[in-house]
Amino acid sequence: MRALVVEDDRTIADFVGRGLREAGFAVDQAADGESGLASALHQAYDVAIVDVMLPRRDGLGVIDELRRRGVATPVLILSARRSVDDRVKGLQAGGDDYLTKPFAFAELLARVQALVRRASRAPEPTTLSLDDVELDLLSRRVTRGGTVVELRPREFALLEYLMRNAGKVVSKTMILSHVFEYSFDPQTNVVDVLVSRLREKIDRPFDRKLLHTVRGVGYVLRGA
Amino acid sequence: MSSVAPRPFTRTFGLRLATWYATLFVLGSVAIVVLTYALTAASLQQRDQQVIREKLGEYAAAYERGGIDGLADTVRAEQRTAPERLFVRVLDQGAETIVLSQPEGWDPATLELASLRTADGTLVQVGKSSESRDDLLARFRAALGLVTLSIVVIALGGGLLATRSALAPIRALIAAVGRIVDTGRIDARVPLAGTGDALDELTALFNAMQDKIEGLVTAMRGALDNVSHDLRTPLTRLRGTAELALAAQPDAERYREALAECVEESDHVLVMLNTLMDISEAESGAMQLRLAPVALGDVVARAVDLYRDVADAKGVALEVKPGGGVIVDADRTRLEQVAANLIDNAVKYTPAGGRVDVGVRAEDGRAILTVADTGAGIPADELPRIWDRLFRGDTSRTERGLGLGLSLVKAVVEAHGGTVEVQSEPGKGTELTVTLAAG
Repeated sequence: MRALVVEDDRTIADFVGRGLREAGFAVDQAADGESGLASALHQAYDVAIVDVMLPRRDGLGVIDELRRRGVATPVLILSARRSVDDRVKGLQAGGDDYLTKPFAFAELLARVQALVRRASRAPEPTTLSLDDVELDLLSRRVTRGGTVVELRPREFALLEYLMRNAGKVVSKTMILSHVFEYSFDPQTNVVDVLVSRLREKIDRPFDRKLLHTVRGVGYVLRGA
Repeated sequence: MSSVAPRPFTRTFGLRLATWYATLFVLGSVAIVVLTYALTAASLQQRDQQVIREKLGEYAAAYERGGIDGLADTVRAEQRTAPERLFVRVLDQGAETIVLSQPEGWDPATLELASLRTADGTLVQVGKSSESRDDLLARFRAALGLVTLSIVVIALGGGLLATRSALAPIRALIAAVGRIVDTGRIDARVPLAGTGDALDELTALFNAMQDKIEGLVTAMRGALDNVSHDLRTPLTRLRGTAELALAAQPDAERYREALAECVEESDHVLVMLNTLMDISEAESGAMQLRLAPVALGDVVARAVDLYRDVADAKGVALEVKPGGGVIVDADRTRLEQVAANLIDNAVKYTPAGGRVDVGVRAEDGRAILTVADTGAGIPADELPRIWDRLFRGDTSRTERGLGLGLSLVKAVVEAHGGTVEVQSEPGKGTELTVTLAAG
């Protein structure tokens, strides 16, 4: 997988680049709009991450030009602005997804992978499995080591989300938007409560713990 | 900024106005003067003509009575005693002068003349010097000239004065606006002249615009001050955590702890920043609300669902009595945020064993959402302050939270044109009521 990061802030570009490399991407970086556009036009990338505010040519201009020239590389837009209008503008320019700064790297990675998956149209699995946990998406049945685990709908949704992102840390914000479909932060951590309920059912009765808390970042479901 | 640019405009505008005014005034006055002169001259000439004609009539009668000699005698006798001597000449059929009487210093050029032919062909001519009349008219012309001149002076001066005073409010307005633009003082206002005319209206409009700008700028400044103030505390914690870890002996586990704390703290800062921005936007009217008919019951049910597990875990009964079919015109996400914050607050401050009741109902064309808890309640003296940013009652300090939830609720509800009220009894509980216009 090849990714292009067009971002003029060195620190952000570096941590995004490093993170993507650790996740198995081959990463090229560009620090301004013109060189970013040149790279995107001359090489095939599976995904591009483009900042909106760039020197020499802004991010939306880059995407616009790419789309005009028929380059369909999926683009994740990064922006420091949070208003809905900016989001709409970015998506209208031909961006495929939009992420507001500051962001959790975990969320960026999840979105990038979703874009790549969408572009490659990998067939949807009907069952997910990790270690000895099996999750049937059709019958909505969960077993661990052959034992049926009864989950309530929201716990099931959380487990499904964690299993789809197995081995990757997901942030509370990501869980909130994917499992609860809420886009703002409730003050009490409803995610903590849901995670501990799920942990109670999927981990507690078993010796091997799968659901781990990464303090400050989020949660990860990891096989032994 | 250029405050000079508009001023030459009024100068030329005033001059143009004065010139127009003076020109019209002078033209009118000159027409009157010319007419007066013409009428006076004509009437003077007519009077002379009448004198001559009367004399002609007299002489013709004398001729008829006494023939040529009688006429000559009459002329001579009369002209000797007359106060103003006339020119008299009598000619026979052969154009021979029979009688001639003419004043001394006679100038034939200034003669008003009339003649009469008698039955036998004798011609009687009577003339009158127009010298005195010309003299009178000359003086009259001089007088009229003076009058015209003074009219021109008055017109120009008056025009300038009039336009000057007419333009004075405009000039004052321009000067005031110019000063405001130059100094950037948004609290300055232009005084009203109190005449109630169009200029007053313009001034009032300018002041109203200034009010609006001032309101917005003040709100923005306030928001900025609040944000920078409110962010200092979490940033201090963030910095302190990092600094402490760096100053201590190198220890991977300790670093890990500190870094995790830093990430949590920066998330906290971000949530705070977003909430403060939301509050400021809602309060200043800058919040973009995507209004659409929303079933209040659905929104509440979703929010209750969000907190169901939290309430269960805490041992708080969370009950909901959703009134189906209560529709409000609102921004769905914002309304969800309001409901979630209210329930969050109620669950947070209700001890185990307590209950939180959420209700939705329609009443007199209004949609009402109530969230009642059996928590510690709020002392009466703290009640008005619960809407303040970052206010947290003494009893609630131990709870985790931003102290921004209710400020946001109030700001968002008011941005929707609704109201929030609180009733609380210490020891018994608190009830918050949101009232919105039913759609």
